[in-house]
Amino acid sequence: MTKLQFRVLYREFLFRMVDLELLSSSAQGDLGKLLGQVAALLIFVSLGFTLAAFSFGDSRMARADLLIGAWSLEHSLLAMTMLVVGIFAVLSWDSTFLDQRDVLVLAPLPVRPRTLFLAKVAASATALSLTVVALDAFPSLAWPPVLAPASSSLLNLILSPALYRSFAAYWITTLSAGAFIFCSVLGVQGLAAQLLPRHRFLRLSAFLQTAAFCLFLSVYFLEPSLATPKSLAAPENQRLLAWLPAYWFLGLFQELNGSMHPAMIPLARRAWTGLAIAVFVTCTAYLLSYFRTLRKIIEEPDILPSSRGLKWSPRCGNALQTAIVQFTVRTLLRSRQHRVTLAFYLGIGFAIVIFLLRGGVARGEQFASHENTRLLFSSFVILCVWIVGTRIVFSIPLALRANWIFRITQIRSAPEYLSASRRALFVLAVAPVWLASATFFLSIWPWQAAMEHLMILGLWGMAGAYVSLIGFQKIPFTCSYLPGKSYFHIGLLVAMVLMPLLGKGVEFESRALSDPVCYSKILIVLAIAAIAVRWRSIALAKSDEAIVQFEELPPPAILSLGLHRDGVLPIKPHST
Amino acid sequence: MLELRKVCKHFSGIAAVDNVSFSARAGEITGYLGPNGSGKSTTMKMITGVMEMTSGEILFRGERIERDLIAYKRRMGYVPEEPHLYAHLSGLEYLVMVGQLRNLSRDTTADRIDGLLRLLSLHDDRHAPISAYSKGMRQKVLLSAALLHNPDLLLLDEPFSGLDVASSMVLRSLIQELAARGKVVLFSSHELETVERVCSRVVILHHGKIVADDSIERLRTLMALPTLESIFSQLAVEQDTTAISREIADLIQA
Repeated sequence: MTKLQFRVLYREFLFRMVDLELLSSSAQGDLGKLLGQVAALLIFVSLGFTLAAFSFGDSRMARADLLIGAWSLEHSLLAMTMLVVGIFAVLSWDSTFLDQRDVLVLAPLPVRPRTLFLAKVAASATALSLTVVALDAFPSLAWPPVLAPASSSLLNLILSPALYRSFAAYWITTLSAGAFIFCSVLGVQGLAAQLLPRHRFLRLSAFLQTAAFCLFLSVYFLEPSLATPKSLAAPENQRLLAWLPAYWFLGLFQELNGSMHPAMIPLARRAWTGLAIAVFVTCTAYLLSYFRTLRKIIEEPDILPSSRGLKWSPRCGNALQTAIVQFTVRTLLRSRQHRVTLAFYLGIGFAIVIFLLRGGVARGEQFASHENTRLLFSSFVILCVWIVGTRIVFSIPLALRANWIFRITQIRSAPEYLSASRRALFVLAVAPVWLASATFFLSIWPWQAAMEHLMILGLWGMAGAYVSLIGFQKIPFTCSYLPGKSYFHIGLLVAMVLMPLLGKGVEFESRALSDPVCYSKILIVLAIAAIAVRWRSIALAKSDEAIVQFEELPPPAILSLGLHRDGVLPIKPHST
Repeated sequence: MLELRKVCKHFSGIAAVDNVSFSARAGEITGYLGPNGSGKSTTMKMITGVMEMTSGEILFRGERIERDLIAYKRRMGYVPEEPHLYAHLSGLEYLVMVGQLRNLSRDTTADRIDGLLRLLSLHDDRHAPISAYSKGMRQKVLLSAALLHNPDLLLLDEPFSGLDVASSMVLRSLIQELAARGKVVLFSSHELETVERVCSRVVILHHGKIVADDSIERLRTLMALPTLESIFSQLAVEQDTTAISREIADLIQA
């Protein structure tokens, strides 16, 4: 009975790691396709690390030099594993503990809390292991032969115990690094759940999730490269290394691999200690959660108390525009899933900006200086990722079956709804970045120069927002979603191509800020571009085919009569 | 008057609604009954204009609804069978959004929402998110959203679902009051006692086809049966309910 219950619950919890609400059944949203895309992305990254191993395999370096030379790639692989597991932990934030729905469904059944607990742990461990395996499987085949002692023949290499030691060290380290990050997230979440009243925990939980997400991205992008014996031994780096877990696990790998360098000893020790603490705290918090929190969940349901103080309801145009803008803002503020997705894009943007601005900010009037060019570039990067992130988040539905209210109340033409959606993007993406940039640039530059840049930034934002909405015939968050249509990989390639172009454009702008003629030319070109894309976007919205879309896939042009349903013809053919 | 003429809806060749014709007059409450899967909610969705018909026509005040769907939607209020709402919004925010989508003036929306929430005992919980509402409270939000714009046509699909006794009594009287004020009310429910008390006429659907369309009084006389429940059993219930219940009891004891 208990084994069967465990199996059923394990399978249910494992599939619940993905938010099924994301996938509309009526739009034939395919969970397999979504997971396939994620796995393909991980395997793609994994292949990159595998190829890097082959480049070391050809090298004629001495083994000691080769082992040290491989540190930085080993560190990159560990850092990537920890980032992926961190993102996985953040995305599965709500499914690691039981929620109110679970409790209400499962509590009346004769299922022991122990079975629930074990099924949840097993589901989380399986999902975590699959993530790590997808990312690390290919490099695990390439790296151990490279790191094992050189052998005269393939047979000697296969028979060498060092190869298997290296292989075991590789997997123990990657799984430990993943477990450390996952347990740290769970531990913090579990401790907060134990120490705080449930309604406060729910409020803090949303903040913690976003904070964890930003932390993982920032650490990954901003982590300095210290994977050399000199940097690792330097006293000035010791304080920093104590806070960078990817280096701890690099030390752990060296220890397990038998290639320990003296500079790595404290790091390996720290990895063991960190892992032990994270696992202990998580186990304790998890156990307490299961045996103490179940009652709490029933008594204090998963809702946040109403905040009677702040009521956000400014007008944003006519009644329809106000309704859609307010709906969009409230959804983005209150839906954790949407916030985290937007935070992912903003995190990438901010990481690039922090990386660019490490050299400092110039406050003088030398607008063509290197610092100012990077500053201008940063404002464009933030604006672009904000627009792209918001536009992508708009496509992800919330409470899809509740969208009937928009269909029933559709008492205006489609272009008016599409215009309201455009306004929502301007309010949520273009306006905040432009206003923040205005505050920043006006505080550090003379007002004329700041205004000149803000004019260009505004036109760029306007053009970007209109371009991103071409073909978007939806009210934000109300249309079904098909994972296969997200074209994330194409977006990534386009962004990679556009970045150098944007860099050139920014260099041109920084020179033009002290040249009125050149500046006027840029302004005119951008204004024409913005007007053109605005015209195109509005013309498309006003075309005869324009409709407000609630399903990603349109109804079929040819209606099937279903004559061959179940392989049975409704009319029997005449026998001759 | 709302009129359905030979309305059909086929899903992959199977008729969910088959040649349905009836009319619902102003000042009258028309009950729309049928067992599960008989095509009631599909008909309701076609009347709202959300779902397209395979064939036939639906007319409101003599005009085909698809001729000016926007004008028709302005005059129609709908309470769906399932209380699907945006649970992250509060009851007040949801109703304000509906008022804005229906293009009501700000003052009218505010006054009506305030009044409806007070009369339906939701005022104290107006700022709480809908996710915290009970089923009955969600039903009241749906009802308020359907009435907010003073519609001429009211489509109610299981409107009593989840309501407590007092709220049910209020809703029953309200439906009668609205009909008396000249609204067209089409009311679908499984609660036959309520239908018997509220409706002047009933349309009974079975396997997508109409099997009865008359006043309850005339159906009683014609079929020589005392209650709507017995009429419904005769026309739309194929199974021997007593035998089934006995079988279920035997099954779980075996």
